[in-house]
Amino acid sequence: MRSIRRSDARLTLGAGLLCVAMGCASVLWVAAVGGCGDPRSGPRWTGAHPGVETPRRGGTFVFHHETDVRGFDPHVAFDELSTMGVKLMFDCLLDYDYELNLVPSLAAALPDVSADGKTFTFRLRRGVRFHNGRELTADDVRWSLERMLNPATASPGVGYFAQLDGAAAYEAGRAPHVSGIVVLDRYTVRFQLREPDQTFLNALAMPFAAPVPRESYAPGARDVARHPVGTGPFMLVDWEPGIRVTFARNPRYWQPGKPYVDRMIFELNLQREAAFMRFLAGDLDHVHRLTPADRLFLGESRAWGPYRQAQADADLWGLEMNTEMAPFDDVHVRRAVAFVIDRERWSLARNHALAPLGQALPAGFAGYDARLPGVQTRDLVRAREEMRLAGHPDGLRAPVTLWIGEGPTGKIYGELAQANLAEIGIQIELKPVAYPVYLRETGRRHTAQMVYGGWTQDFPDPATFFDPLFHSRSATSTDATNRSFYRNSTLDALLDRARSERDRARRVAMYREANELVTRDAPWAFAFSSSRLEAWQPYVHGYRIHPVWTNCFRDVWLDLPRERITRRYAPRATMPAALLPFGAPR
Amino acid sequence: MMRFAAKRAAWALVVLFVVVTGVFLLANAVGDPAAANLGPRANRAQLQAYRRAHGLDRPLPERYAKYVLGLAHGDLGISLRDEQPVGQVLLQRLPRTALLGGMALAFELCLGLGFGIVAAMRRNTWVDTAVMSTAFLGVCLPSFVVGPFFLREVAFRLGWFPVGGYGRDALDHVYHATLPALTLAILGSATYARVMRSEMIEVLRADFVRTARAKGASETAVVLRHAARNALLPIVTMLGLSLPLLVTGAIITESIYGWPGVGRLAIESIAALDVPMILGIVLLASMTVQLGNFLADLAVAALDPRIRTGAGG
Amino acid sequence: MDVRAWRRFRRNKGAVAGALLVTVVLLLAALGPLLAPFPPDLQFTDALDRATGLPVGAGGKYLLGADQLGRDELSRILQGGQTSLGVALGATVLAVGAGLLIGLLAGYLGGPVDAVSMRGIDILLSLPFLLVAIVVNRVVDSPSLLVLCGLLGGLSWMTLARITRAKTMQVRELEFVQAARAMGMSQARIIARHVLPNVVQPAIILGTTLVAQMIVAESAMSFLGLGVRPPAATWGTMLSDGATMLSYKPMLTYLPSAMIALTVFGFNLLGEGLRDALDPKV
Repeated sequence: MRSIRRSDARLTLGAGLLCVAMGCASVLWVAAVGGCGDPRSGPRWTGAHPGVETPRRGGTFVFHHETDVRGFDPHVAFDELSTMGVKLMFDCLLDYDYELNLVPSLAAALPDVSADGKTFTFRLRRGVRFHNGRELTADDVRWSLERMLNPATASPGVGYFAQLDGAAAYEAGRAPHVSGIVVLDRYTVRFQLREPDQTFLNALAMPFAAPVPRESYAPGARDVARHPVGTGPFMLVDWEPGIRVTFARNPRYWQPGKPYVDRMIFELNLQREAAFMRFLAGDLDHVHRLTPADRLFLGESRAWGPYRQAQADADLWGLEMNTEMAPFDDVHVRRAVAFVIDRERWSLARNHALAPLGQALPAGFAGYDARLPGVQTRDLVRAREEMRLAGHPDGLRAPVTLWIGEGPTGKIYGELAQANLAEIGIQIELKPVAYPVYLRETGRRHTAQMVYGGWTQDFPDPATFFDPLFHSRSATSTDATNRSFYRNSTLDALLDRARSERDRARRVAMYREANELVTRDAPWAFAFSSSRLEAWQPYVHGYRIHPVWTNCFRDVWLDLPRERITRRYAPRATMPAALLPFGAPR
Repeated sequence: MMRFAAKRAAWALVVLFVVVTGVFLLANAVGDPAAANLGPRANRAQLQAYRRAHGLDRPLPERYAKYVLGLAHGDLGISLRDEQPVGQVLLQRLPRTALLGGMALAFELCLGLGFGIVAAMRRNTWVDTAVMSTAFLGVCLPSFVVGPFFLREVAFRLGWFPVGGYGRDALDHVYHATLPALTLAILGSATYARVMRSEMIEVLRADFVRTARAKGASETAVVLRHAARNALLPIVTMLGLSLPLLVTGAIITESIYGWPGVGRLAIESIAALDVPMILGIVLLASMTVQLGNFLADLAVAALDPRIRTGAGG
Repeated sequence: MDVRAWRRFRRNKGAVAGALLVTVVLLLAALGPLLAPFPPDLQFTDALDRATGLPVGAGGKYLLGADQLGRDELSRILQGGQTSLGVALGATVLAVGAGLLIGLLAGYLGGPVDAVSMRGIDILLSLPFLLVAIVVNRVVDSPSLLVLCGLLGGLSWMTLARITRAKTMQVRELEFVQAARAMGMSQARIIARHVLPNVVQPAIILGTTLVAQMIVAESAMSFLGLGVRPPAATWGTMLSDGATMLSYKPMLTYLPSAMIALTVFGFNLLGEGLRDALDPKV
């Protein structure tokens, strides 16, 4: 390349001046437009008929997620955004209302339970039709569950149905059917369990148990993940991979009058920051998964007040300590960690987007106790005392490796933990690894000393936390979910009894005891449960945060202002005027 | 020429083979796609069933042989993440990335050549200085600096462009691609501007321009015609080298603007350890580089008679 | 650098400005720990607003404000510079060393050495840089700074090797080299005494611009969350961390951005100036 030496002096001068000018301009810009508030801090549109309470039909509802959808096979999909779509297209026998009660959905009523608590008889709602028009029968219920349990489906939901009589034999290929699923007549199905299991009905409400039509899902059916057929209020009509998925109203839906909106558009792959900006600009009707800063803005905004909701998530986050590896094979070291974690500080650094937590169950769960004896709180004196008891009054000589998942959140909590643990002389080396590596390695015995991780409820029952996280059964040598490899036979027995206990009060007491046990023994330093903030446009009605299902939009209805009806998803025909006088790249 | 092309093609095959082998070993050395795809809730039996179903439990040489055999039949395998054929997914993504890359190249050329010509015509004046300084500064602004700034200030605050995304129809796609394309072009246009300027200056000094001027021809016309011819060679070479932009795209820019192209796909596939997809993308990228080099060589040979005979290797 | 080149360099204000800028940045990086008012990883309680948890702004005790965990931004910028520049310089040294060595050997020895190394270069050049860097960084289960240096350097020595090879092949045929060979001088000495001085210029020029590229590459990887191990700060990680606060604390993003841009600008200017001074013919 030829030199342009002759004007280099001037070039430098010019570039320097430009630099300064640009710097000044951006400072002025930021100052003028304001450091934090946005020009469009309030909603741009209100509904056409504010105050109207009766649901209106029609319109298009647009929501989003930050990653790409992998598929809508209800028996396989288990991530948050697939479930968002699955809940639009599939129903189960049971569902939850907003007060966490199990309510019949495809079942005509709650099941008849036998006296020994092992037999559940369901009567199906009549006249329910799949998207393909065929009526749902008890055969479909059985066929679908067997499809899910079939190892060829590779469903992560199998474990929830382990108590089903004959499930193991069927999975191993020793039986053609699951003997515990009996079709009594066209509309009646009976489930037979080996042992009483209080979480079985919860499992039946999970999408893993969603009935699907055999003709669309039989082995060899093409690409079922992308051609979902269910009984739900919406049907998939268009899938633009990596961009968006479009759902249309199911005209044959069994609930008369529902659903209300004609179309649902699921925008994919929107980064959090961009999604929030698009929501403020009016391109999205609902926003969730905000960055803490955006959350702060939305939470403080008066204009958005009526159109937002904050709710605690039912999840646990903290530091999992491998009880089989030094130094965490010593309960005192584990307790020291539990006492040194500054939960308030973590919350502050995340702009209060989380709720500090010091026990094995999130607030509101049966067995949670705000005044639990031995609850883990920040107490530097006790932390030092525990270190002394462990024989490390001056801290540990060798650094401890803390595994964190890749990405900004893991890094932030890793750094916070690092700062906290330094106070009792534990040096932390952070080990950020890719998610697949993280899952494999942390689930392997004698591998990860300490892991930053969490667990979200599968259903609103304490077993959803205790069994996978602290039961010795879950501490397998590889692919363990009990990643602290905590083994306690007292706890195991207690959990097994609690799982089958039918008396509610006794069950709660058992889980409270288990909670106290785990909290004291500290295989985890519990840190927080997260909380979510969601917002919607003022013309969106009928939406609340569901306590179990993330972003369940089934009952949404729209009171669209006229301009939104015409604008929404009509192709943009004209370029904005601002585009025309186009000049230099800045 | 045919021999030259055949030789290049054969060599390209060897390169691709080595690349595939290397990346296959690399990508299979890390993590567990089964865990990545089934998530933390999966129990052991499920994971093992998944590994069996996807052949992940077979020894590495066997999997490698199977992959290469498939490749020979034009089969890139099945993506682990969404169970779609890799070739099909890439074909879906390619036009999107090509649109973004094409627009970025167009911007680069327009801005770069325009800047270069203006600077050369007004050389050693303040115009020259201003234009070339801007260009020089542009080289120092990587996309991850410009991208978030544009997204927030230009797209959101000023509202001139959509805040990321892909849009709904052809015109809308173009509109959505404008800002990311500009982000990419800021970096590239500077180089074009500098090449164009120096070529122009050389032409302006040459005798034929003086002759043409003396004959009373419009200076602009003469200069443009000759300068264009002069500058064509380096610019065609540069274009050939930027062909990968059209295919593998810009990983960072696509991520910032949520553009559903190959670059974004690459990041997602790496996160999910989707080995067949990663291999497919690297293969595609590597092929494009070879093709770009080859096309650039061809173009240079065609344009410059001096090189035509000596082309080789 | 001979006297004439030095004079040419000094007269070129752009080059001098670039050199100054680079010197300042290098000094800041080298002296960073001494200049930093606080330890860069220390999280201060009073640096986060009690009500909102937002970091305090510029001015006051924390000169440039604090980041989202309550660490002093100025100290982190200084430490980040050290890491970013360290990685970039390390990678460049590696790339230049490898490029020179391989180019020299290939050009001087010719034959199979040449053939093999040129084919290897072809292969490496056909790889998408960022993509491969990320995949490799994944394989190494926890990337240290050294690994990052090696990775970035290992993927960017090829251009220099090609240039060096071409130049070496020219020099090899020159009379004084032929004479030295005829006199029985060992090959190693010929390369060191006669060939190397003739190929070192492009290495210097290319190396300078390579530093700029390496800074960008490292920042890009950090921006995607695939760079150095936390809590080490680099400008790239600071940039991506700050991005989540863009609407409230734009400086957390724009400050590291400006540092990256300025440093890259400085190295580019310097490289351009060196090219003009050392190689006036080109």
